[in-house]
Amino acid sequence: MIEIRFHGRGGQGTVVASELLAQAAFLDGKIPQSFPFFGVERRGAPVTAFTRIDDRPIRVRTSITRPDVVVVLDPGLLRTTPVTEGLTSGGLLLVNTPRRAEELAAPPGVRRASVDATRIALAHGLGTAMLPIVNTAVLGALARATGVVTLEALARAVEQFVPARPSENRLAARDGYLGVRNADPGAAAPAPAPFAVPAPLDRPEGPVASVSSEVIHTAAWRTFTPVIHLDRCTKCNFCWKFCPDAAIELDADGYPRIRLEYCKGCGICAAECPPKTIEMVAEA
Amino acid sequence: MAKLTIPAQELMYSGHAACPGCGPALAMRLLLKGLGPRTILSIPACCWTVIATPYPTTALGVAVLDNAIEATGASVSGLRAAADAMHLKDVEVVGFAGDGGTADIGLQALSGMLERRTDAIYVMYDNEAYMNTGVQRSGATPQGAWTTTTPVGGGVRGKPEPKKDVMAIVLAHRPAYAATLNPSFPEDFDRKVARARSIEGPRFFHIFAPCPPGWKFDSAETIALGRLATDSGIFPLYEVVDGRLRITRKTGELKPVAEYLAAQGRFRHLGAEETARIQSEVRAEWDRLLRRERDDLSGSH
Ligand SMILES: Cc1ncc(C[n+]2csc(CCOP(=O)(O)OP(=O)(O)O)c2C)c(N)n1
Ligand code: SF4
Ligand code: SF4
Ligand code: SF4
Repeated sequence: MIEIRFHGRGGQGTVVASELLAQAAFLDGKIPQSFPFFGVERRGAPVTAFTRIDDRPIRVRTSITRPDVVVVLDPGLLRTTPVTEGLTSGGLLLVNTPRRAEELAAPPGVRRASVDATRIALAHGLGTAMLPIVNTAVLGALARATGVVTLEALARAVEQFVPARPSENRLAARDGYLGVRNADPGAAAPAPAPFAVPAPLDRPEGPVASVSSEVIHTAAWRTFTPVIHLDRCTKCNFCWKFCPDAAIELDADGYPRIRLEYCKGCGICAAECPPKTIEMVAEA
Repeated sequence: MAKLTIPAQELMYSGHAACPGCGPALAMRLLLKGLGPRTILSIPACCWTVIATPYPTTALGVAVLDNAIEATGASVSGLRAAADAMHLKDVEVVGFAGDGGTADIGLQALSGMLERRTDAIYVMYDNEAYMNTGVQRSGATPQGAWTTTTPVGGGVRGKPEPKKDVMAIVLAHRPAYAATLNPSFPEDFDRKVARARSIEGPRFFHIFAPCPPGWKFDSAETIALGRLATDSGIFPLYEVVDGRLRITRKTGELKPVAEYLAAQGRFRHLGAEETARIQSEVRAEWDRLLRRERDDLSGSH
């Protein structure tokens, strides 16, 4: 059995990717299983989905914590989510990024591969620059890097199950297949940066939620970050008034400060600032 | 510091699970600023149950009862009775439900609460579809809008039926206070919350609540779109106290509805003829409101 874990953001087609892979494996005569992590699938929020593939019926029904393959649809998640957790020597990390696979951080012995699926998706008109639909290009790369499914089966699965633009998606899968880059197995991988493990929450007695949601940091949802140029700020506090996440506070002098742990990058503050002194900057 | 025009207190916490740019999230934030901490909220199944409470966390700094989608009206009557029996002073009981949970599934419970004259505020935040379950049409979805259950194509042009007029249904119950609120106008919003709090009896808020993924527009545009909705006459702002209607925002000429419609993917398929029909309906409704306001003012009501 091979176990594959997908990491993406709400709106990118992460769950569909895990399902398409399963469909393709089924067309190859395998017995697959796929399901998402049941969480908040809001646009921009980190999303996890799982696929298992075997020659025999799969009895296990749990989330995948020791994956053979980890697929990352959005490179921004490398900074905010411990994607390589549970990945051990002999496993594979595949990331959608324009960077070379050698630059990817991974635990020792993990094979690394990269594909510029965003460029491929946009070249085929799939999604927008802010929200490219990269899933089929990534699956093409996965097919080549792992051999878990054939490109033919993947193309048929796309034709049968992708509701919008099946032919563009098929071409994106092919380009992903051709465009995947494997890291030189001899090159040592940079170690993944340690992630701050959030303190365990106090579980209250009984069905009463009593912990403030501010223990949850939603910064990972963001693809653009507001930057305030205070020199032109008139202290009108419009940005503060309109933030749906209460992520802006006013200092003693009345200047706004963005609480970046919570800002989701919606862009409202920038759009509403009368002197246009808030800039939305793409996350690196 | 520039003077704050709305209360400083934050009773909606950050870290909640609403989409970026969520209109209902801003609606809740502004509402709680005006209501203050001595509030008991009753929230049925809707986006806001998910936004507020990945267990054991809560994004709401007030007491919350999580109830069934049919039951918001009944639950606020029960909460008020319990608060009275416990001699709790100065608590505001507030139901907070989506348009699906209000205009469709919970309509009888709302009617019952208004008819019982429960001393409570019922809020319908109107994102014009069942959003939490993935954009299904509700009675409050506007005519012509795309939803997953009113698709576009094969001769179908979005929702065939007109939007249910929930305010008219509520007003038929002669509530103590009823108003339309829009988070794009925080000062008007806050004044209405304060006004409602000064009145006893059944009160109702209809809050305009844009949903970027459901209406298909960029999350940065939530506030601008809300302004356009009111200034084009799609969502007029008014309040009704003791049966007298007063429009709380007038800007001279209405903006063309075409601008409002063009800003959203859910209306992208509409042609010139459909837009013209919507324009004339909005115009007629606005004229009707102006007439009613004049009549109420001259006491002929
Ligand atoms: C009786 C019943 N039917 C269906 C559901 C499933 N359900 C949960 S949330 C929801 C959507 C509610 O829509 P709305 O009231 O418009 O609020 P929104 O999700 O748009 O915020 C539905 C249908 C339910 N909880 N109870
Ligand atoms: S981008 Fe959105 S979430 Fe972030 S501070 Fe501005 S308004 Fe708030
Ligand atoms: S909206 Fe712009 S000018 Fe006004 S307080 Fe915020 S940053 Fe300053
Ligand atoms: S789906 Fe719409 S209403 Fe629900 S949380 Fe997202 S933006 Fe808000």
